[in-house]
Amino acid sequence: MVVLLKFCWILVVVNALTIGGGYVMLPMLQKELVEKYHWITNQEFLDAIAIGQVTPGPLTVMNAFIGYKIHGLSGAVMAMISSYLPCIIIVTLVAKFYYAYKDSIIVLSTFRGIKAAVVGLLGAVAISLGHTSLVDLPTFGIAIIGFVVISFTRIDPTFVIIGAGLLGALIY
Amino acid sequence: MRNISLKKIFLAFLKIGAFSFGGVYSMLAFFEKELVEKRKWLTQDEFFEAVAIGQMTPGPPIVNTGICVGYKLKKIKGALTATVGQAFTGTVLAIVLAIFFIKAEDNTLVHSITKGVGAAVLGLLLSIIYKMAVKTIRDYKSAIFAMSSFFALALFRLNPIGLILASGILGLAVYGRRK
Repeated sequence: MVVLLKFCWILVVVNALTIGGGYVMLPMLQKELVEKYHWITNQEFLDAIAIGQVTPGPLTVMNAFIGYKIHGLSGAVMAMISSYLPCIIIVTLVAKFYYAYKDSIIVLSTFRGIKAAVVGLLGAVAISLGHTSLVDLPTFGIAIIGFVVISFTRIDPTFVIIGAGLLGALIY
Repeated sequence: MRNISLKKIFLAFLKIGAFSFGGVYSMLAFFEKELVEKRKWLTQDEFFEAVAIGQMTPGPPIVNTGICVGYKLKKIKGALTATVGQAFTGTVLAIVLAIFFIKAEDNTLVHSITKGVGAAVLGLLLSIIYKMAVKTIRDYKSAIFAMSSFFALALFRLNPIGLILASGILGLAVYGRRK
């Protein structure tokens, strides 16, 4: 029970700070869930990102997957509630005061700093996850091909991940 | 004009949530087709306002756009309904996959699949970093923000929640002065 409440609180804080896209969650989630509390491993965290990507809807769905691993069905449901609650509160407030909020120097400049910092944070997370997932030549190859295909073609990342799963089944 | 039942809102967002694959822009195009063109629940301008709000609030931009549309249609009840509808399919699938993963923990085939998938996720992550960097790192100040947060996390293992809060405050200090 204590674990579930702690987990929910982390998700509330993380989602309230997810500025500029779902991937902003990743550095915060990895620190709290993998490194600090050891509720899941780096490999499970990678699985969760993949699941968030191949399932329809936003990446946030990965939190339901992690929630189930930590605390069963109630963990999954509570994970989704905690992830969306801050969004609902903030968005409805902003919708009310949109015209005041839109041109607010405070909001714009705060977000500008955060968005730039997030690029660096994600870089650090990629290194940490790379220690787990890049173990030999084929995994390096898959990562590089994945990077090139997703960056420079219009192919959906969902297919890249499914394709990589098939490749993994063939190689190993 | 706008007498749309919660059930209709739920069903519309259930459909959007179940078919929303791909990037933000393809999803927004799908949103627009369903809500503005087909159902005529919103005008073009109202939709663009919802998209703008979705992008400048914390949380996933697509979900936030949905929350905002729901709120415009039926206040807080509409916002809740839109969120549940949108998240439903993905959440159910994620739970099913989680059950499967726990059952198949010792299966060697699953291990090989996740090995390939884990590598692809890294490629995906790198490509997201690349795209974000192209968009946000535009002057030496933002480059310093990115570099210092990278080293703070990678070398000094500081807490990313604190780092994001700090960079927001620093952003205000650096960019907040009126020109």
